[in-house]
Amino acid sequence: MNELDDYIGTEKKQTFFEKLLAGFSFNLRLIWKNISNRKKSMMIITIGLVFSLSILFTSSIWTQTSQLIIADDYIETLDYEMYVSTYLTNAMDSVYAYTVGDYLVQQVDWYYPTVALFNFEDKGPYYRWYPEDQQENASNPVSLTSAHLISSRAIDRIKLNLEIDGNASLNSGEILMSYTQAKQLEAIYNKTISPGDKINVAITRRIPNTDIGEHQMRFYDINETIFTNYTITGIYKYVGYNTAIAKLLGGLENTGGMLLDSIFFPLEDLSGIDRFIIDSNGLLPRLLVKTNAQQLRINGISQMPDTLHALSERIKIRFFHAYCYILSQEIQTMANEYTRTFSSTALFTPAIVATIFLTILASQMTVKKRKEEIAFLRSKGAVSSQIIAIFFGEFILVSTLSLILSIGTGILMAALIPSLGHEGFFSKSLFTRYFEYLTISPYDIEIYSVLVLGIYLGMTLINVVSFVRKDIHESMIITVRGQRLLGMWIKLAAFALTLAGFIFLIVDYTRVARSSYSFGPGSIGASSNALLAFIAVLFFLSYFVSLGINYVLRAIKKIYKFVFRQNSFLIYKNIKRQTKSLQDLTFFLILIICLLTTFVTIRSTTIHNNTIEDAYRRGSDVRIQSLVAVNITEFEEKLGGIEGIDEIMGFQSIEAIVGSINVDVFGVDPSKFLSIGRWTDNSFADIDPESALTTLEETSSSIIISDYIVDRLEFTIGENMTVTDFRGGPFTKQFNVSAMIKSAPGLGISHGYDPKMNRENYEWVLLKEDILINELGVHNGTLFLATAEEGADLNLIKEEIEALYPLMTVNPQQINPDYIGYFIVKYIPHVSITLLMGAIVLNVIGVVYILISTDFILGQRRRENAVILALGGNQGKIRKMLVGEIAVFLISTLLIGIPLGFLSSLLALTFLKPLLIPHEVITLTMHIDFGLLAIMIVTLCVAALLGAIPIIRKQMKYEIVQELRAIV
Amino acid sequence: MVDSQIIISNLLKSYSSRAEELTVLRGVSFEVARGEVICLLGTSGSGKTTTLNLLAGIDKPTAGKIYYDGKDINEWTTDQLFEYRLKDIGFIFQEFYLLEHLNALENVMVPIILKGESEEIAQDIALQLLNQVDLGRKALNLPQELSSGEKQRVCVARAIANNPSVLIADEPTGTLDSKTGDDIMSLLLRLAKKNKMAMIYTTHDPYFTKMASRIIVLQKGVIVEHDPKDFADIGYDKSKFEFLFKGENNE
Repeated sequence: MNELDDYIGTEKKQTFFEKLLAGFSFNLRLIWKNISNRKKSMMIITIGLVFSLSILFTSSIWTQTSQLIIADDYIETLDYEMYVSTYLTNAMDSVYAYTVGDYLVQQVDWYYPTVALFNFEDKGPYYRWYPEDQQENASNPVSLTSAHLISSRAIDRIKLNLEIDGNASLNSGEILMSYTQAKQLEAIYNKTISPGDKINVAITRRIPNTDIGEHQMRFYDINETIFTNYTITGIYKYVGYNTAIAKLLGGLENTGGMLLDSIFFPLEDLSGIDRFIIDSNGLLPRLLVKTNAQQLRINGISQMPDTLHALSERIKIRFFHAYCYILSQEIQTMANEYTRTFSSTALFTPAIVATIFLTILASQMTVKKRKEEIAFLRSKGAVSSQIIAIFFGEFILVSTLSLILSIGTGILMAALIPSLGHEGFFSKSLFTRYFEYLTISPYDIEIYSVLVLGIYLGMTLINVVSFVRKDIHESMIITVRGQRLLGMWIKLAAFALTLAGFIFLIVDYTRVARSSYSFGPGSIGASSNALLAFIAVLFFLSYFVSLGINYVLRAIKKIYKFVFRQNSFLIYKNIKRQTKSLQDLTFFLILIICLLTTFVTIRSTTIHNNTIEDAYRRGSDVRIQSLVAVNITEFEEKLGGIEGIDEIMGFQSIEAIVGSINVDVFGVDPSKFLSIGRWTDNSFADIDPESALTTLEETSSSIIISDYIVDRLEFTIGENMTVTDFRGGPFTKQFNVSAMIKSAPGLGISHGYDPKMNRENYEWVLLKEDILINELGVHNGTLFLATAEEGADLNLIKEEIEALYPLMTVNPQQINPDYIGYFIVKYIPHVSITLLMGAIVLNVIGVVYILISTDFILGQRRRENAVILALGGNQGKIRKMLVGEIAVFLISTLLIGIPLGFLSSLLALTFLKPLLIPHEVITLTMHIDFGLLAIMIVTLCVAALLGAIPIIRKQMKYEIVQELRAIV
Repeated sequence: MVDSQIIISNLLKSYSSRAEELTVLRGVSFEVARGEVICLLGTSGSGKTTTLNLLAGIDKPTAGKIYYDGKDINEWTTDQLFEYRLKDIGFIFQEFYLLEHLNALENVMVPIILKGESEEIAQDIALQLLNQVDLGRKALNLPQELSSGEKQRVCVARAIANNPSVLIADEPTGTLDSKTGDDIMSLLLRLAKKNKMAMIYTTHDPYFTKMASRIIVLQKGVIVEHDPKDFADIGYDKSKFEFLFKGENNE
């Protein structure tokens, strides 16, 4: 009696677990032998499991870790998240004491506003100063500027808003000065002002009230606050946008406001009495609050605005007089952008599903290969539970190994993907940062392990059990056939119902996803759900199409004859017999090729759309943005004279209110805008740009407004509407709604936050420029669009304008450099990278599956091939036939899979928009990158064929006699 | 010697495994004349099948020579061996080895197509051959739809498809009952005679030795001397094999 007999001889009355324990030692040895004897198939399964698990683990670790880094980095880019103020200035110390002690707060800095004087030294107390440009001594005037008194350490945060020439320090005896102020002083002192120069400055303790005639120097109260020989450490230009300082001092439309003409002065150089007097000036001091990033993002990115609100509430409930301004909109935008960007990783789902599917198929093949072993064990008297125990033991060993490898791979990949995905080269700093922040969610690891390993174990055991029970079924063959027939109809009905259910889900989610052209969390969620349902439908579709292909492949004998000539007989017969493995191969290849084509097409569509959209957002050949508001008519003339500029148009701008919505009002020359702007058919809601702008031109009181606001306020075209609060005052005017607009070249979408554009209001409207100039007295604006003359060098135009007007930017690479999306994609690769990675993974899966199938099918055919060789068949001929067979499947699945992929892309683009783009500024139209698709497909085919040849060679390297004998 | 189509000289064949080295043939030598019918008789493991495999060129000897028409087949290239198996040898396996996904007709067509004939010609030839083995009516049946005897007939048709000069049959009656075995042997010998083929077949059953013109007894890998009278009293249905012995008395 050998070991095996011992194991399976005395188990009759034992339970499954008793058998498992009783035969533990034998089981272990047998399992180990099985694994070591089946190195190749075990390796394939292990690789499949590691592949599936790694993708899921990578996704989880990547999300968890990225979230922390993104939150920390974003918070680091903000100067402060909040400022606090109170009209009871004597309570500021208490507010400070409470705020600085809050767990969420990292740093609180004082800010005092006042003014500073230069060139005051030789002026007496009665020197008549007011107004500044008509003061007593016009040839040697006093220069007055805003003074921001801040603590020395605060400059480390505030400097994020500034582009500084020199040093960004503010120690005792140092000041920082704006570029505009430096230019004023250059004119007064008649010398160049540079960083490092010494200067005298007076900080005013009072701000005179000119309404009651305080027009003389003495009213500034500077005697105690004159500071001599202060060093100008740096000269700054304002660049801030989404920051607390920008909100506090940046002015309307982020034009720089009080930061354009100003200085920063160290608060520590003033005494307590000075501060007390400044306090009573009526300009409230502020507490600038910097939070602790780790505490702020402790509940996740999406909870950050709420956490910040809670801090504001804690302050306000204790100090009823306190006012808190929070950067909640910016942080919320960041949270939304993160959600959208991260949700786009859902596009990776098909690759994950395909990987799991591959593992299942590989496991099925392995079990099939071992059916003789199962039969042998049964012949020796082993019962089902003993056979299952062996497979279960193998599963435990392989799974444990796969799990360990997958966690390792997941950690490594989570760090590698952003390190490689960002800007296309390896970034060591990003790579090491991932390890610093590494966060692994045990919950995700557990769920994914149970999911993948559970599916694998389940499918393996189902197959084992089906082989173990085969004899019993065979003895009941008539009943089984009856059941099968019944089962087939039930299966068909279940198939049809499930398919209908998934299609219904897609239609329903698509409706939600397409309800707007600005995509928020709701449409992102709907889009992700539609994607999952769509993947399920693609599975069904691929399966049905594969049945069709298999039918066609059986019917095209003449084509085989034409192509393969002498070899066609056996190739055709092999294809005709339609084994399960060949059916699976067709199905899986169609699915992979379809998904691959879809990934590549959606990727190229997204990239193409981004390019067109960026050009649309730029507006025209030349986009000129001014940091300060300038007279549009004057600068149209100046800029229009620059060589290479053909036609130019500026936008007068002002803020106003429609209903209760703050809007940016732009004044345009309609006919110029029509010819200069890159309009599309999708720019207006129900009308073409030419008609809309012509109506605006021809009607004196026309207004063009977003379709959103027209719907919301239930206006109709031709109806009158009132715009109020022009210039922030009570000025009101009636207009006639002439068209509904969705977006405009150079201005972006007309409603909603367009994060790529540099504007604050959610809404803008268009008026004729004459109305702004003549009726509202608005002459200034910050934006110009121009066309370039044919053959003109845009770089030369850019260089010339930026040299002539240093506060202007021409064709900026990013219209809004603070757009959080650019920042997030540093850690979560852009959707195009996700899609490219998905396509590569699918390609690898396709190749691996072809190779596994080839190996398996050849294994099944060893006997046949041995017989053919014994009959005089030639090995070379057999090899050619096998390659021919693989080619038939590849070509036929390519011929169907690629068009199916295009169709799938077309359908997917209807609901995937929210995952791909934040706004549909221009219509997202399918664009096929034939080059990349060809590369992917050729790689798949070449890799599959090149990989299959060594497998075929290896499989054919056997002795005929041995094969025949083994069969006997 | 001049008339010998095949000369086997001092054949040695060993198989080595991890545990031991197994010598199956230990210096087997014999000759086969054109048209001769030789029976290799021996118990299981005596080396009969190995001898046939070596002779058919589907296995290689450890030592010794096999001459076919005066040429040593061991010195042939792989392609020459393919050619040899395809055109000169017809092999009938004890286990049939029919391709399960091909019907009887297609199974017979395989060697003809491998030889380079078109599918149409191969089909015609195969059908004729199936008619010869009295299986034309079941030409479109799959192997699993045929009885053992019918399967062996398909094997016979397949073996003679390319009109080989040597027919090799490994235990052609091994899995058949005695009546079917008689039928198959009758068929084989008739075809061999008709096509002027030499035939070498193996059996462990002395009953099937009588139809051979020469009997070679193998025991533990060597040929043992025997007295032809040892097989004289074994009875069989002589009437079925009359064609074989026609003129024998005259000789």
